[in-house]
Amino acid sequence: MNDPMTDTPDTTPSDGSHWGTTWASSRRRFLALAGLAAGGAIVGVGAAGCGTAQTGSSSGSEGGKGRPGASGDTLFVAGFQWGPPTNFNPVGPSPQWPTAGGQSQLIYESLLRFNMLDGSLAPGLGKELQETDTTMTVPLQDGTKWSDGTDLTADDVVYTFQIAKEASLSYSNVWEYVDSIEATDPRTVQFTLKKSPYNPGTVRNAIANTLIIPKAIWSKIPVDKLTAETNLQPIGSGPFLMDKADQTQVNLKRHDDYWGKAVYGTPAMTTINHPIFKSNNDGDLKLESGEIDASQQFTAQIWKMWEDKQKPVGTWLKEKPYYLPGNLPLLIFNINKKGLDNVKVRRAIAHAINYPNIATTAMSDYSEPANASVILPSGYESKFYDQAAVDAEGWTYDKEKAVAILEGELNAKKGSDGIYVLPDGTKLGGWTLITPTGWTDWNTACEIVAKSAKEVGIDIKTEFPQAPTMQNKMQNGNFDLCMYSYSGVSAASPWSRFRDMLDDRGVAEVGKTAFYNYNRFKHPDVPKLLDDAGAAKTDEERKTAYQALDKIYREQIPVVPLMYRPLEFFEFNQSNWSGFPTAEDPYAPPMWSGAGIGWLFKIKKVSA
Amino acid sequence: MKSMNFTTRFWISFSLVLATVLIGFVGPLIIKTSPDAVVGGLYDPPSGFGPLLLGTDNEGQSVLANLVYGTRTSLIVGLLAGTIASVIGLAIGIVAGYKGGVVDEILMGATNIALAIPGIVIIILLSIALDSRAIVPLGAVIGVTAWPWMARAVRAQATSVRTREHLDVARLSGARFWSILAWDLLPYLLSYVVMAFVLQVSGAILAEAALSLLGLGPSNAVSLGTMLYWAIAWGSVRTGAWWAFLPPTIMLTVLAFSLLLLQSSMDEVFNPRLRRGKAVKRRKPPSPRTPEEIEEVSPTAIGGSTLVQPPIGVSRGADS
Repeated sequence: MNDPMTDTPDTTPSDGSHWGTTWASSRRRFLALAGLAAGGAIVGVGAAGCGTAQTGSSSGSEGGKGRPGASGDTLFVAGFQWGPPTNFNPVGPSPQWPTAGGQSQLIYESLLRFNMLDGSLAPGLGKELQETDTTMTVPLQDGTKWSDGTDLTADDVVYTFQIAKEASLSYSNVWEYVDSIEATDPRTVQFTLKKSPYNPGTVRNAIANTLIIPKAIWSKIPVDKLTAETNLQPIGSGPFLMDKADQTQVNLKRHDDYWGKAVYGTPAMTTINHPIFKSNNDGDLKLESGEIDASQQFTAQIWKMWEDKQKPVGTWLKEKPYYLPGNLPLLIFNINKKGLDNVKVRRAIAHAINYPNIATTAMSDYSEPANASVILPSGYESKFYDQAAVDAEGWTYDKEKAVAILEGELNAKKGSDGIYVLPDGTKLGGWTLITPTGWTDWNTACEIVAKSAKEVGIDIKTEFPQAPTMQNKMQNGNFDLCMYSYSGVSAASPWSRFRDMLDDRGVAEVGKTAFYNYNRFKHPDVPKLLDDAGAAKTDEERKTAYQALDKIYREQIPVVPLMYRPLEFFEFNQSNWSGFPTAEDPYAPPMWSGAGIGWLFKIKKVSA
Repeated sequence: MKSMNFTTRFWISFSLVLATVLIGFVGPLIIKTSPDAVVGGLYDPPSGFGPLLLGTDNEGQSVLANLVYGTRTSLIVGLLAGTIASVIGLAIGIVAGYKGGVVDEILMGATNIALAIPGIVIIILLSIALDSRAIVPLGAVIGVTAWPWMARAVRAQATSVRTREHLDVARLSGARFWSILAWDLLPYLLSYVVMAFVLQVSGAILAEAALSLLGLGPSNAVSLGTMLYWAIAWGSVRTGAWWAFLPPTIMLTVLAFSLLLLQSSMDEVFNPRLRRGKAVKRRKPPSPRTPEEIEEVSPTAIGGSTLVQPPIGVSRGADS
């Protein structure tokens, strides 16, 4: 709308006459053009939407032929890497794709691999888990090798665990539960469990999640420098090698001398590429158009891709909720904050939150409304879940009930601003709810929590700082309310989730960094119940302990589950690669990490 | 200014502005649905003549209700920020222009520094630093960053008016400083100030939208920019939910466009030399330049003036 004419006021009379005529006519023309341009812009926005879709559908209908050339032999993935990779250090604090624990084992591998469908441990570098009451033994697969050609032996495994005893690494807590980790022979590793505390689940989880690193390379680095190592040319044991990594992509190429060819086969793709996007949007559009083959992004209303636009896109389930729940994003109260320290206030907030709305909008129908339990009601945790107890002791979305608690039980009075005030003068408000920016589903859930609370007369504001800032505040206990999740489904869940939420042992005080129990919850009965659950030998015993813990949780309400979320999102576009696992063909779990690597060896190139 | 013959363009832009004001301030009274109320699911398409006339947004809220409340927020922020920026700009410009000398140098020095700093950066920093992200602080933040170009322009105008005889008369008759500014100087600048104010409002509305689009919008109210922020974050373009992003886009366009049109049509009213039709014919042969014409300089028409600092014409005061 910048009219150059108005910037040039006429300066001389003779010029003035000249400009005067052209000005008048060109002004009119300019305005007409501006109007057209504005109209065009609006139409353009609409057309852009359709335009993208059309490109997608044309490539989708030709999808049967797949992509031509080298890109046809590449698997394009998205949803793990959001900035230029800074390191590929699996023992560092923030490993980048694909070297982090919760990602595909393309370069580094673990001894065994967790399968979220049945809770079992599939083979990895190890053949199987041989358990007695006090030992766990893992024999290595035959012929395990590093990508530089040297042998991968039990020594490497022992070294990987040994450094966690000396330095503080993400899996260091395994040493709370094991006495020793030794190589009984060059191809066998034995874990000897402590009798007290006795917790085989956590050890199993460490065996399933810890990525094994080569001793010959890492032992040259001093132990206190391990986490700072960038390791930009990683030497691992997996089926892929680092090719290049820059601002825009991470590219891996197939390792043709992979030791596991005899056991797992050879992946059909020669290259795996992870383009680095700025936001969910870019990746979503490319998944729809078939430029991304498999994605771990939150993609709202993904069913529209195949129902409305007939794209060869799929998820684990064909119907709602499309994904398997594997995690539980939580509303975490700072229970030391005045007002929020009152369990009845927390209960009123728990009743006020519109869970069905969070499930249908913030989670795009990928979740059932959350229940008053931190045990997942489906998948392998469901055997510990007790719907009757949830109905009897729990809460549901019920505004009247929330108001009844506030007015009836707490004798709170509404102030002139419509916010309740407790009899002792504490205002139920002025609280800020934080969660990382850009996590759109979580951001929306927070908005709904804030609005739900406002409706009953509790004042909560939302704020979305950068993820590291938010996490720092949360770990230091410097927040009013925050939204985050504790452990997802794993070989140690739901034990690990109860520990994260209720156990005050080993949690740093407020002002220092805590790695779980961010609101520093304390309860005298919890430690014993947790130890009992960890040491339990049968599911019956475990269920009893978990139910007792869940009951304490429902009485104290240190956190409120807001929705169910998949452990990892898993969606695919079959225009170039086909044969992804689904609920109808469940040969591998809908995962990327652990046993999810299975589908990588099975998908096939779509041929003409 | 005796014959205020309003043009068609004026009436069109005036009715457009009036329509947006009605939507923003009367709309919320007619549409009873709260913008926070959940009336449907995720991106339900438009249906019927109730709150679902424009469908639902990513939280299952009525887009129509959000649109009218968002328009109100945008107008409030625009008027507030426009007023603040105009008052600051006018005060600094008129004092500097009339006083001249060291005062002028100091004030214009400060203005030049403020001009050199990109406004959007200050706005972002201020809005992060401020604890409260309510509408009023947001308007104030935009207002205090948008005044520099106006101070420069007003000062240029004031410098030229300063030399006129009637000011000598006022000074000789003992009128005091502020009285001269208010009664002898300001009336000659008023047409310019009114037009600049309209531009400030339009710029502030766009600045608010830009800020909200970055996720720094008002936290306790819905605004048009916030609606667009969520529409982008939730991929409404991909899912074909046009009702989530088109209404706020069109409303923003109409707001900014009608204000710019109003400004340019007022320019015609105030400046006879810009009139078309009969006025154009009358202008031949060219009228000799008179001192009065100096004030007929229209403000630079720049949308989002805080985002792009308008180029300032060479100060005309220097040659007088």
